[in-house]
Amino acid sequence: MKWIKRYGPYLVLYGVAFLWIIPILWMADTAFKPTRDIFSIPPKWIPSHFTTEHVERLFAEWPFARWLLNSLVVASFVTLGSLVVSVPAAFSFSRLRWRGRDAVFMFLLVFMLLPWQVNVIPLFFMMTKFRFLNTYQGVALPMIAMPIGVFLLRQFFINIPRDLEDAARIDGCSSLGVLLRVILPLSKPVLAAFGVYIFNYAWNEFFWSMICLRKPQMVTLPVGLKILQGAFEIDYGLILAGAFMASLPSLMVFLLLRRQIIRGFTLAGSGVKG
Amino acid sequence: MGLKGRGAIPAPFSKMRKRIGRFFYRHPGVEGFLFALPYMALWAVFLAWPVVYGIYISLFDWDPLRGSRFVGLANYLELFREPRFWNAVTNTFKFAGMAIPLILGLGLVFALMVWGWGRKRRGIVVVQASLFFPYLLTVSIVAIVWKWLLERDVGLFQHFLSSVLPSAPVFLTEPAWALPAIAIATAWWLAGYRMLVFQAGLEEIPVELFESAEIDGALPYHKLVHLILPLLKPSLLFALVLTTISAFRTFGQVLIMTEGGPGWASEVLALYLYRVGFDYFDIGKAAASGVVLLFLILVITLLGVRILGLKSELQ
Repeated sequence: MKWIKRYGPYLVLYGVAFLWIIPILWMADTAFKPTRDIFSIPPKWIPSHFTTEHVERLFAEWPFARWLLNSLVVASFVTLGSLVVSVPAAFSFSRLRWRGRDAVFMFLLVFMLLPWQVNVIPLFFMMTKFRFLNTYQGVALPMIAMPIGVFLLRQFFINIPRDLEDAARIDGCSSLGVLLRVILPLSKPVLAAFGVYIFNYAWNEFFWSMICLRKPQMVTLPVGLKILQGAFEIDYGLILAGAFMASLPSLMVFLLLRRQIIRGFTLAGSGVKG
Repeated sequence: MGLKGRGAIPAPFSKMRKRIGRFFYRHPGVEGFLFALPYMALWAVFLAWPVVYGIYISLFDWDPLRGSRFVGLANYLELFREPRFWNAVTNTFKFAGMAIPLILGLGLVFALMVWGWGRKRRGIVVVQASLFFPYLLTVSIVAIVWKWLLERDVGLFQHFLSSVLPSAPVFLTEPAWALPAIAIATAWWLAGYRMLVFQAGLEEIPVELFESAEIDGALPYHKLVHLILPLLKPSLLFALVLTTISAFRTFGQVLIMTEGGPGWASEVLALYLYRVGFDYFDIGKAAASGVVLLFLILVITLLGVRILGLKSELQ
C-alpha cells in the first residue's frame, strides 16, 4: 500500500506522458524504416535496418528546404508586424484617452470571437485584386492584426502603475517616450509571450495559407505536407518523413527553449482573462 | 523622447518637433487615435472588411470574369434546400459535441494531475512538456500522423485495437466512426494548451483554502467540485470559448484524414465551404455558407458568454 502511494503517481504521470508521445515516436520510427517494414502486419517497432531513403527522396524530389524557408519568412513577418502594430494600439487602448476609444475596443472584443479564416472567400478575391496571391505578404497580412494580441498587451499595460508614467511625463516625456522608455522595458515577459504565441500561430496556419498559396514553390510547410500527402496517398514512408522533418524545427526549438515557451503560452492563456 | 540627444538635432527639426509636441499636448485625443491607427487600419482592411465583403458576395451570382449578377437571398435559399449543406451543419455540431468535452476534459485531467502530483516530484517538467508538445505541431502533421496510426490493417492503433477487440470499429473507413477519430486526433493536438491554461488557474488558488478544506475533512471529490471548479471558472470559460471557436472552424484535420468521407460522413462546414468555393467554383454559395458559419460561431460564443457570464472575465 505504502509502495503504491509513493510510486503510483509517478507511474501514472510517466505512463500518460509516454502514451501521449507514442504518435510522435511512431512518426519518427516510420520515417526511418524501409517500406517493407512500414507495411508489415503486425506493425514493427524495430526496423530490419535503419534507412534515410525517404528523407533523401523528400529533399531530392520536393522543394522541402524552400517550404521551410517560406514558413520561416511568413512566421517572422507576422510576428514582427504584429508586435509593431499591436504594441502602440494596446498602449493607446490602455493608457491614452480619446473619443470613442472604449466603443472601438468593445467592437474588437466581438471580433475576437469571429475566426477570420472563415472569410477565405472574400479574402481570396481581395488578394486577387491586390495581386497578393502567392506572395508572402498575401498570407501574412490577415494574420498581423490579431485582436488577441491587443487584448493581452492591453491587460498587461493597464496594470503598470500610473505613477511611473506621471514621473516620466513630468520629466518631459511624450507619449511615445512613455511607451518606449517606461512601458516597454517593463513588458518584456508579455512581449515574449505574445511573440511566441503568434509565431507558433503563423508557423502552423493552414486554411488561409492553402488558399492563398497555390504555387508549389511558395507554399509554407503545412501546405507542402498536404501536397505531399495528396500526391502519394499511400507512400507513407515519404509522407511521414516529411511530417517528421517538418516537426523537427518545432521540436528543437522546444527542447532548447522549453521553459520560455511554456511560460509564454501560460501567460498568453491566463493573461487574456486578467 | 527628448530626454537624450536633443542637441544633436538640427534647429529646424527641433522647432518642428516642438510644434508637434505642442499640438499633441493641446489635442491629446488625436495622439491616442494615431497610436491605434496602424493596427486599426490593418484590422479594418483584413479582418473587418472581409466580413462585410463576404456578405456582399453572398448576395451575388459571383463571377468576376464574366460579370456578377445580383440574386438577393437566392444563394441562402439554395443552401437551405441542399441536404449536403444540412449534413455539413449536423457534422459540425457532432464534431463540436465530441471534440469540445474531450479537449477540455483531457486538459483538465492533465492539469490536475501535473499540478496535484507534480509538486516535489522529479521529472514533472518532462511530463508537462510531453503533454504540451503536440500543440506546437501544425495541423497537417497531426492529421498525417493520426491517419497513419488509424490506417486499416497496418496502422499501429487500429491494429492494436482490432487485435484486443475483434469487434472494434475501423475508424477512418466506417461512416459513424470517422468524426470520432478526427475528434480524438484533435484532442491529442489541442489538450496540452488547455492544460497550461488550467494549470495557471490552479496556481492562483490560495493554498490556505486547501488547508482549511482538509481540516474540515473534505474528500478529494468535494475539493474538486466545491473548491477547484468554482475557482477555476475564469480559466474554464476562456478555454471553452477558445475551444468552441476552433472546433467550429475545423478544416485541416478533416481534409487530410478523411477528405470529408467516407461519402460525406465527416464533411464539416468549413470543408463544405472550401469544396463549394474552390472545387465547384460556386463562389456566391460558398460565401453564403461562410456567412452562416460565422453567424453560427458568433451566436454560440455570445450565448456561452451570456449564459456563463464570461463578459466580466474579458474586461
